[in-house]
Amino acid sequence: MIEGKPIIEVKDLTKTYPGDVKAVRGVTFHVKEAEFFGFLGPNGAGKSTTMNMLVNLVRKTSGSITIDGFDAEQQPNEVYKRVGFAMQEVGLDETATAREMLQLHGRLYHLPKAKIDEQIVKLLKLVELEKVADRYTSTYSGGMRRRFDLALSLIHEPRILFLDEPTQGLDPHARQLIWGHLRELNDAGMTIFLTTHFMEEAEALCDRIAIMDKGVIVTEGTVPELLHMHEANTLEEVFLKTTGSSLAEEEVNLKAADPYARTRMGG
Amino acid sequence: MTTFFSDWYYLSIRNTKQIWRPLLALIPSLFIPIFFFVVNSASLSAFAKVPGFPNVSYKEFIAPVAIFTAIFFSAGNAGIELVQDISSGYFKKLIILPINRLTILLGKLTEVAVQALLQGGLVVVLLLAVGVRFHTGFLGILATFAMLIVFAMSWSCLGITFALRTQNARLVQSLFVLMFPFLYITTSQAPKQLLPPTMALLATYNPITYVIEGVRALVLDNWSNPAIWQGFLTVAILFAVMVSVALSSFQKALK
Repeated sequence: MIEGKPIIEVKDLTKTYPGDVKAVRGVTFHVKEAEFFGFLGPNGAGKSTTMNMLVNLVRKTSGSITIDGFDAEQQPNEVYKRVGFAMQEVGLDETATAREMLQLHGRLYHLPKAKIDEQIVKLLKLVELEKVADRYTSTYSGGMRRRFDLALSLIHEPRILFLDEPTQGLDPHARQLIWGHLRELNDAGMTIFLTTHFMEEAEALCDRIAIMDKGVIVTEGTVPELLHMHEANTLEEVFLKTTGSSLAEEEVNLKAADPYARTRMGG
Repeated sequence: MTTFFSDWYYLSIRNTKQIWRPLLALIPSLFIPIFFFVVNSASLSAFAKVPGFPNVSYKEFIAPVAIFTAIFFSAGNAGIELVQDISSGYFKKLIILPINRLTILLGKLTEVAVQALLQGGLVVVLLLAVGVRFHTGFLGILATFAMLIVFAMSWSCLGITFALRTQNARLVQSLFVLMFPFLYITTSQAPKQLLPPTMALLATYNPITYVIEGVRALVLDNWSNPAIWQGFLTVAILFAVMVSVALSSFQKALK
């Protein structure tokens, strides 16, 4: 069990999209400093929407979010300085090289030039992309793109790292590589907030886990606590016992049928 | 405030690099204005002998249109690039940076200005080489660029607005087609008195008429021609309106 003060505090958080689609229905939780926190749930459970609200990419309907003591909506730039975000969709500038992107983001985080240079060397080494740093990112494979995205989210040495399905679509080797990097970062004191579909990933990495379904958190605790609480042998069993899928599927279908759903930038 | 300008600068550099990446993408937008100029000045040269036509060659008459078209074509890319950033997810990375979001828009507009300068500059050099003379001199060339760059930035805001509101690449690309009615329902090919009455009426309400007439006055006439100031006034109004609309879409897209 990680001891420490809460670095992420969420109270009664809700998000209702136009058309009265209630994606998040009153969520309260906290994450402690240096904790590896897992956020699980079926498709459409509201995980990505919650995460996007935490970094102010989606505007909350009600509730409060405090990140390292700062209100996410009132003081967004203070929050942005403290968080890194590797998103589900690996968005890279296809017309730039990895080095150029790291330099640009370092500058936009207002880091001194020497620090940017130091970070570039360190991060490219961490994600094992030193040899291809001067190639356009459009030439990267899926695994390389994920690894580079992780490096990019770390350029400003954030205190908290948000990861939305960071190993989705990766082969087992690439997945193990990312897990190794994440463990190193967490061991060094970084708070990590992870959403994933992979139970083994959550089990292998997370200190504590919350499972979300139909817009609410249905259970929360360490893996042993969850197994005990739900009289289960595996985390997957806990997941299946605590989540339903009818509403989630409805919401997914609703969004899929709405060609402009993405314009709301919702998850 | 210092970081505002440095952020704007770095984003402008990033965007400007996209102009020549890939280099081949520059060719169509340079080729088309030159193509129209060569074809129109050759095939319509007899038009200059029609009674009521100004006392200039047709080549000189449509030279401002060639510059205008080159710069017009430079304005379409900003929206397409933005929709690519949105589709790939990179736009989200930009908006969670601790920067003023206005700098993202300004960075795009700076790219448009640089591209307009490059494309327009090449066309001006070509026109000077074939004997077209700017009657208002070097200052007139500078004024032409000033007017047309502000116009290009205004037009690019239309693409940016559509990119933010629809996030649909096909729709943003289709805006390119809009350029043609806006360009041809003007006095670009013939003076207003020689246009059919309906077309002349439509041209009166098309703001691009005033921009083309402004540039034409800078090329063919002198500084006392009121069309110059009407052209500047038109682009100033267009800029204020279009930037406001783009900024508003920018804020809405984030909520």
